[in-house]
Amino acid sequence: MKSKEEKVKIITKEFVGEGEDAEEERQKKPSKVPRPKRKKQLPAAGCEEMVSENSPVDDQQEPVQEASDTRLLGVTSRRGPRSLPPIPSASRTGFAEFSMRERMREKLQAARSKAESALLQDIPTPRPRRLRSPTEKESETEFGTELAREVQRTQQEHDSQGYSRVKFHDSVRKIKSKPPVPPGFPSAEEAYNFFTFNFDPEPEESEEKPKAKNRHGANQEEKEGEEEEPPVQEGVSKTGEEEWLDGKEAEDLLLGLDHAAEDFVAVRPAEYESVHVRLQKEKELLFVPSRRTVPTYKKLPENVQPRYLEDEGLYIGARPEVPRINQNIMENRLLTQEPGRRWFGDDGRILALPNPIKPVPSRPPTWTREQDVKAELETQYKKAVKYIHRSQHLIGSGDSPGNFQLDIDISGLIFTHHPCFSREHVLAAKLAQLYDQYLARRQRNKAKFLTDKLHALRNAVQVGLNPAKTPKTLETTPKTINEYKSEIRQTRKLRDAEEEKDRTLLKTIIKVWKEMKSLREFQRFTNTPLKLVLRKEKVDQKADEEAYEAEIQAEINELLEEHTEEYEQKMEVYRVTQQQWKAWKKAQRAKKKKKKQEVEEHSANEEREQPGPGEEPEKPAPPEPVDRAVIEQQVREKAAQSRRRPGEPTLIPELSLAGSVTPNDQCPRVEVMRREDVKRRSLFLKVTFNNKEVSRTESRPLGADFRVHFGQIFNLQIFNWPESLTLQIYETAGHSGTTLLAEVFLPIPETTVVSGRAPIEEVEFSSNQHVTLDHEGVGSGVPFSFEADGSNQLILMTSGKVSNSVAWAIGENGIPLIPPLSQQNIGFRSALKRADAISSIGTSGLTDMKKLAKWAAESKLDPNDPSNGPLMQLISVATSGESYIPGFFRLEQLQQEFNFVSDEELNRSKRFRLLLLRSQEVPEFRHYKQIPLYDREIMERVFQDYEKRLRDRNVIETKDHIDTHRATVAKCLQQVRESVINRFLIAKHHFLLSDLIVEEEVPNISILGLSLFKLAEQKRPLRPRRKGRKKVTAQNLSDGDIKLLVNIIRAYDIPVRKPTASKFHQTSRSSRTFAEKHAASPTTHSPAHSADYPLGQVSVRPFVEVSFQRTICHTTTAEGPNPSWNEELELPFRAPNGDYSTTSLQSVKDDVFINIFDEVLYDVLEDDRERGSGIHTRIERHWLGCVKIPFSTIYFQARIDGTFKIDIPPVLLGYSKEQSVMMERGFDSVRSLSEGSYITLFITLEPQLVPGESVREKFDSQEDEKLLQATEKFRAECTLKFPTRQCLTTVVDISGKTVFVTRYLKPLNPPQELLNAYPNNPQATAELVARYVSLIPFLPDTVSFAGVCDLWSTSDQFLDLLAGDEEEHAVLLCNYFLSMGKKAWLVTGNAIPEGPTAYVLTQEQSHYLIWNPCSGHFYGQFDTFCPLKSVSCLIGPDNFSGFPLHMPYSEMKPLIEAVYSTGVHNIDAPNVEFALAVYVHPYPKNVLSVWIYVASLIRNR
Amino acid sequence: MAAAGPSVFLLMVNGQVESAQFPEYDDLYCKYCFVYGQDWAPTAGLEEGISQITSKSQDARRALVWNFPIDVTFKSTNPYGWPQIVLSVYGPDVFGNDVVRGYGAVHVPLSPGRHKKTIPMFVPESTSKLQKFTSWFMGRRPEYTDPKVVAQGEGREGGNTEAAISKAAWIYLPAWLTLSFCPQ
Repeated sequence: MKSKEEKVKIITKEFVGEGEDAEEERQKKPSKVPRPKRKKQLPAAGCEEMVSENSPVDDQQEPVQEASDTRLLGVTSRRGPRSLPPIPSASRTGFAEFSMRERMREKLQAARSKAESALLQDIPTPRPRRLRSPTEKESETEFGTELAREVQRTQQEHDSQGYSRVKFHDSVRKIKSKPPVPPGFPSAEEAYNFFTFNFDPEPEESEEKPKAKNRHGANQEEKEGEEEEPPVQEGVSKTGEEEWLDGKEAEDLLLGLDHAAEDFVAVRPAEYESVHVRLQKEKELLFVPSRRTVPTYKKLPENVQPRYLEDEGLYIGARPEVPRINQNIMENRLLTQEPGRRWFGDDGRILALPNPIKPVPSRPPTWTREQDVKAELETQYKKAVKYIHRSQHLIGSGDSPGNFQLDIDISGLIFTHHPCFSREHVLAAKLAQLYDQYLARRQRNKAKFLTDKLHALRNAVQVGLNPAKTPKTLETTPKTINEYKSEIRQTRKLRDAEEEKDRTLLKTIIKVWKEMKSLREFQRFTNTPLKLVLRKEKVDQKADEEAYEAEIQAEINELLEEHTEEYEQKMEVYRVTQQQWKAWKKAQRAKKKKKKQEVEEHSANEEREQPGPGEEPEKPAPPEPVDRAVIEQQVREKAAQSRRRPGEPTLIPELSLAGSVTPNDQCPRVEVMRREDVKRRSLFLKVTFNNKEVSRTESRPLGADFRVHFGQIFNLQIFNWPESLTLQIYETAGHSGTTLLAEVFLPIPETTVVSGRAPIEEVEFSSNQHVTLDHEGVGSGVPFSFEADGSNQLILMTSGKVSNSVAWAIGENGIPLIPPLSQQNIGFRSALKRADAISSIGTSGLTDMKKLAKWAAESKLDPNDPSNGPLMQLISVATSGESYIPGFFRLEQLQQEFNFVSDEELNRSKRFRLLLLRSQEVPEFRHYKQIPLYDREIMERVFQDYEKRLRDRNVIETKDHIDTHRATVAKCLQQVRESVINRFLIAKHHFLLSDLIVEEEVPNISILGLSLFKLAEQKRPLRPRRKGRKKVTAQNLSDGDIKLLVNIIRAYDIPVRKPTASKFHQTSRSSRTFAEKHAASPTTHSPAHSADYPLGQVSVRPFVEVSFQRTICHTTTAEGPNPSWNEELELPFRAPNGDYSTTSLQSVKDDVFINIFDEVLYDVLEDDRERGSGIHTRIERHWLGCVKIPFSTIYFQARIDGTFKIDIPPVLLGYSKEQSVMMERGFDSVRSLSEGSYITLFITLEPQLVPGESVREKFDSQEDEKLLQATEKFRAECTLKFPTRQCLTTVVDISGKTVFVTRYLKPLNPPQELLNAYPNNPQATAELVARYVSLIPFLPDTVSFAGVCDLWSTSDQFLDLLAGDEEEHAVLLCNYFLSMGKKAWLVTGNAIPEGPTAYVLTQEQSHYLIWNPCSGHFYGQFDTFCPLKSVSCLIGPDNFSGFPLHMPYSEMKPLIEAVYSTGVHNIDAPNVEFALAVYVHPYPKNVLSVWIYVASLIRNR
Repeated sequence: MAAAGPSVFLLMVNGQVESAQFPEYDDLYCKYCFVYGQDWAPTAGLEEGISQITSKSQDARRALVWNFPIDVTFKSTNPYGWPQIVLSVYGPDVFGNDVVRGYGAVHVPLSPGRHKKTIPMFVPESTSKLQKFTSWFMGRRPEYTDPKVVAQGEGREGGNTEAAISKAAWIYLPAWLTLSFCPQ
């Protein structure tokens, strides 16, 4: 279908091209027919060529035929496009059709007008419009698809000639379907003839007429006859036509004409697709999954039953809630996709993780500002919410929080022992206790119960044995009887034990009472009112005896029976063993015989074979037969012991308090004291609820009977479920304070226990306190004795009973104020998700595994829920007894679940690695932008550099360096640098407030004063000063934002040219001496030169060229040795890698070279004949000198302003200084004192950058803590006094530790070679040493260690590394000087080009000298600039401007850069030649001096 | 997605800075800029903008309406560093100096569609009363070295007592700025 559709489309396109003409045509048609007829168009596709090429007459015939079989053609047309004939080009159709159409139109119009004018006199509305709609419908039903229609639409235009015919034909068809022709109408034939005599080629048209009449003339039949004629005439005579036309018709005609005028404008209807069509299209293109539920079998593989994991006991979390309809859509969609089924689980549902949504949002609520601002600004009053302690214990959380009440009734306290007990009291307590016991036993009367039981059993056995007596008895099998018997035995034993206990108790009571009585007699007073009375109950002697005897007999019988049974069993065993023994004996005898025979031969084995004595079975002894007499004796003995003898009266003790206590005055003193002591004592109880004291009783005195009555009821209003309820018993003895005697834990009452119904309970307590008293009181916890000799000691502890009752209160309306049952037990269960085990069983319960397990069972924990896993495991372990406790615990046990890939896979991912490295700020990746989205887009080589660096960390690369030593040093530096950088990276992320926020400083008086002063100052001063500009942080900068501004103001004392023929001149600097320098005398040879240069002659035309990062700018050319340019040069600055962060800027190593050249004009005209016509000159520039300023200096200084000495090569051929001129003028005499040329510069950056902050990190130190504190203090004081001065006490050494700066300074012997050079000239030696030091390459710390952290290396390290900055140089120089016996100091301060730097100060005989360790220059104490260059000199060949470069050797790159900066190579003269000479002078310790001579040679004629 | 170039995804941001509520100030204008991570790059549209000065409406809302359009397209390879729009509002003070009236930042919405965001505005606070006075007097209120810092977390952590830019250094104003993002 699709391929077909495409083809059709192509074809339609081609048709469109042709169709334009046709469309024009269509426009010409009267608007009555806005849409062409479709049926007609179909055939046109087939006969297009005919339309265009055949004669119009033929063409007209065709459609007529086709009209009849439209349906058929419609079908063919759908298949047709494939076999379509070549389509004629538009141009071909154009012409032929045009003329034809014209003619056709005329004809048609004429015909139509005639026909219509005839018809429409009585037809007010335009007919075809009404007719058309049914046709269209028909066509739609016929062709159905849009495709066919589209084809038609494009084709329809070609047969526009047939429109009218078609229309008429259609109308005919319509009419035919209408009611039958009324009678009296002209026949079709007549009508035909009537019309066709005029229009031969269109016979059908005539048909239409009568039909139309038929249709419209239904109500005007009578008219028909008359009216038939006029149209005929009309058709013949066109003159009368207009008269009949009504307004409508005229309009139609006009419209037709109007359209003709618009022939050249193609007006097409807007392309419209009906909704149906679009939907249909969409249906083909889009897939809309059904919303119906998918049956489960579709989602599972064939013949697989759905499997519900939950039913199998596996845990399945709650699925996230998704509307059913969405699920259905998703399922339908998945099913149509290819691997869709793997999305379904075994249960036929879409796989889903448990719902991850937390019930409580963890994100703080965001502000929505829907209401007015003021509403939010308003202060809202909220009532303070009571903080509820331990909310999980809260009862009624969620429900109405009611107050519940617990009533605690404390009625009293009885001591069972108290320190103040006298001995009698002890006995009395004992007696009372025993009596209580007795009472309790008597109440239960277990002995009697057991006796009755025994009787019953015996009866049962008797009945069982004599079935004859009671035939009705159910199965009294021997088995039952045996059971009875064994039960009898048990019961008898129990009864005997009980009887014995009863008897013993009674005996004990009597014994204690006797003791008490004897004690009372002994001490001659009575303390307790206790009195024991023994009541005798007489018994019937005879009956009693009989019963006793019967009992004994029964017992004897039973025992006899038992023993007989036992005996038989034993006999059985005996018989068996006897036989075994006999057999063994026989065998033994046989063996012995054998042995005797073999005794000689096997004497050795004899012992081994002989069985050990243990193996020999003992000869079994036959069991003793039961002796009745013995048993009887045993039984009787026992009975006599444990039972009341027959006839003996039953003793019933009765304890009463009827006795009288001896009054105080009759008692001995110790007893009185004791009684006094008791009176002094009082007690009270504290009630604690959940370990908090809630109330306490009144303090009550201790009674003489050691009872305290409280009788208080406490109502505890609670809202927490009680966890513990405790009574604390406190005793107050006189005024000596209170002591806690004991704590009593009260049980929390059942919910059924309410006030009023609660029984008074006694809770025992005891205390372990030790009390010794000095009176009759026996004390507590201390031994005492009742005996006179102190034997038989007793230790008693304070103990007692509290009688109390705890119950739930009843509210006003009779409802007990108990937390609802649901909250107690079920409540916890239902609220399980919130409450945990601890809340329901208490903390102590957790250790009790059974409790825990019970709780788990009660609360119906889901054992499969992972969150309960550990608990379940614990319980199962604890209950099963296997205690496997892992030796670890997991912090994030769910981590595994959240890993979406395994760690290995994650590590393998290149993208992840890249992201990781970037986030670690690994140098190679720190500024990596746009990390590719896919692994496959990440090139392997991205990592290559990094990996190489990692690999090469320990491998020394010698390729880039000339000698291995340098390579080692470089590597070492690199490593130090890396470690330092890593440290700084951490510090880099720390920001100060000032880093983020710009805030004006509080102005102090001086600033205020200054600003006031400024108000008075001139608006436009004559000599403006440079003002500080706003600083810019380096965050938001990009390439091109930063510019280096170099303002070249003027230069002094530029060397001047000598005449070319000047004699060879050699500077005599090397011969200069130190003394000469300080004499500050002008050079002697200058007057000689002055003669060579007449005044006024241009001696030099200098210009300045500034090169930075290989960008070169130069000034205009000035004249004379003291030129003034006053020009500003602007050089762009590019940070490395486009990174404008502070760290990166700090590590810029580029230098700014300021070169001074002399511009020399040469006449290069070789041919003199041309001289008249033109001047050809060659401009040569001769390098005079340079000033080199590192970028880092500019960056840190922010601006450099001053006069600098130009570094002029020692040999400058063809140039000399013009000192005489200066002298004569007497101008600037100070400057003339010095040698060399100077240039005044101002350099700054635009915009001004904020230099990086030094690292605010304290390094640890190994120095003495006291000293460190002292230095810190000193430093702080210094800073306070001189805030601008830099006070240095401690520095950071190369390993990152803080050390005192003084540690660096120590006399150090300079290399012997240097000392030997000038054995008798100390000054020269000093200079040489200085020079030597200066030759060690300079490497600023700020460059090697990004971030301003001055690392000081020791002189040793310095010499090993052969690289360092000012400090190291200065330290070394200072150390050398110290060893040379000079007094030397290290000077730190600010210097113009370097910024903060270090110099060396030495004391000579009368003055001080300041040495610049980096250049080897020294300056007098009072000399502003008087440098002395200690350089040797070499002489080059004749006649070239060339120049030597001299620098300490470190690496190749700086050399190349230096050479480049001179720009010697920028010469385009044709015959130039270059010369290069390099001389390296070695000094000790691998310090090298490099001389490079670069020359450009131009041949002079 | 071009076959040759590396894959990226595009984030198109259309919207406008609608209005603001600054009860105390009037005649304000607004600047916006975007802060985004290393993997992001603007491809089309304006990354920064400065609006016209607007006055308070005369109705009860007293809103400062800018309706200042935003239209920028980013490309990226990593959702990390999702763009944030940083807005800073400036206006004249009593002496006519332009001072900052509020900073605010918000992430560009993560989901397509129409979003309306209301951002609370804040300004850095002077470190002392005296400085507050002088800054008022001199017309130099404390301001950020770069408005983009409001969208960056660095330096705000409280670990380092000295360097911590604690929240105490800010004052949240009773001011809001409404921003809407709408698809075309």
